Order: sequence, then structure tokens, then C-alpha cells
Amino acid sequence: MNMFLMIIFTLSAFLAVGGALSVAFAKNLIHACVYLLFSLIGVAGLYLTLGAEFVAATQLVVYVGGVVVLLLFAIMLTGGSNLHHVTSRFGLESTPLMGNLRTYIMGIVTALLLIAVLCNVLQGSISASAVVESKFSSTVEQIGVKLVTDHILAFEISSVLLLGALVGAAIIARPYRSSETEN
Amino acid sequence: MGIIPYIVVSSILFICGIIVMIARKNIIAILLGIELVLNAAALNFVAFTKFNNMNIDGHVFALFIILVAAAEAAVGLAIVIRFFQVRESIHIDSATQLQS
Repeated sequence: MNMFLMIIFTLSAFLAVGGALSVAFAKNLIHACVYLLFSLIGVAGLYLTLGAEFVAATQLVVYVGGVVVLLLFAIMLTGGSNLHHVTSRFGLESTPLMGNLRTYIMGIVTALLLIAVLCNVLQGSISASAVVESKFSSTVEQIGVKLVTDHILAFEISSVLLLGALVGAAIIARPYRSSETEN
Repeated sequence: MGIIPYIVVSSILFICGIIVMIARKNIIAILLGIELVLNAAALNFVAFTKFNNMNIDGHVFALFIILVAAAEAAVGLAIVIRFFQVRESIHIDSATQLQS
């Protein structure tokens, strides 16, 4: 059983990390979006190894089925990935809008700084965490009871948030010409 | 297997998200980076709730993070599509005015 968990963890971690690195360094925007899909599937596998089956299922349904498809639609509605590589005078190929070496160096420096700060903050929690595998499982029933007892306010507010996001997205993205004829 | 491998994986996800958010000039690519960062946060919540305090509050938090990420993606992409209709561009540097 432990061996099985280990195999699933290794596969999922490889998928998540490889997908994230590919998102960071892909040249084509649509390829980056598909790599994000693999990364999200890997994170869902990591949830499975942590005993969070319901969160893993929600991750698959909402992210893989919803958000990534939405992102792909948005990429295609805004012209897709126009691939005309630009060659600089140093002979380096780069795609417009996808960053160059200078911005990548700035991003890596910022990320390493943030990670250093976070490691300092989280040091106590990480060293205090239990190493022994405890019998730990969460069922949908437990999560449901928790949602409608302890977290009932956040649950209700989240429904209002979703309604607001739905109406807001529909209003913001309505066709451009109709607003001119109204005014 | 302790918590350290999960922390390492979520750190790499976070680093990649920050790199994408800073290095790219495309608004949709920046949204991809935001999704990666939110995933790293949710993974940290679930990992710490298993190894530190053994209740399922972290799972509820991860569900709310997924919910907020979905709402954010919907509204953000609506704004991007509207911006593309107005400006014919999705370069982040051409977003300099609130009113066209």
C-alpha cells in the first residue's frame, strides 16, 4: 500500500513539476495552456495521495474541465498564438509578448526572494509537522457537515460571489457595438 | 513520507507561477501564472492539514480557493476579451487607461 502511494506520488509530482516548468518556459501560448492542464492533473494526483479525494475530484472537474477550457477559448478569441519569431541581433529567437531573457531573470530573482521569505516564515510549521503516517481520511460527508456548520457564512458568501462573477463576466464581455447604440 | 516533498513541489509550482507572472507580457499568460500560484497555495493547505493539525479545515479552504480561482478566471478573461475588443492587443503595456 505504501509502495502504491509512493508510485502515485512520484508520477503526480513529476507531472506537476514538469507541467509547471513547461508553462514557465514554453514559447507558444496554447502549448503553455495545455501544459497547465498536465500540471493541474498532477496536483489532483497529489491531493489523492494526501487523502483528499473530494478535493481531487473538484480540482479535476473545475480546473481541468472548466478553467483550462475557458483559457483556451480566451486565447483563441484574442487571436490565438501568432507565431512569428523575432531574431535579435545576438541570434536569439524570441516570440513577441512571451518574455525575453531580461524579464525571465527578473522573474527568477523575485521568485527566489519570495521563496526565501516563505521558508523563513514556514520553518516552524514544517519542523513541527508529524513525520509518522497517521490514519487520516476525509469523506464527503465530513466535508459537507463542516461546510454547513462551521463555514456556513463563507459558503453562503461564496454563492453570492459566484452569482456576481457570472453576471459581471456576462456584462463585461458583451459585444462592443451594443454599448455604443445604447448610449 | 513526510511533508517535505509536498512543500518542495508546491514551492516549484509557486516559483514557476511568479516567473510566468513577471516574465510574460501577454495578459492571458499572466492569468496562467496566477492559476499556478493559487494551486501551490491550495496544495500547501491540504498538505499542512494532513501532517500538522489532522482536521479537514484545510480541505474546505482548498475548495474555497478553487471556487475563487474559477470566479477570478471568468471575470479576468471577460476583461481580457473586452480589452481586446477595444484595443486590438493583449500586451500588458498597452493597458494604460481605464477609459478608452
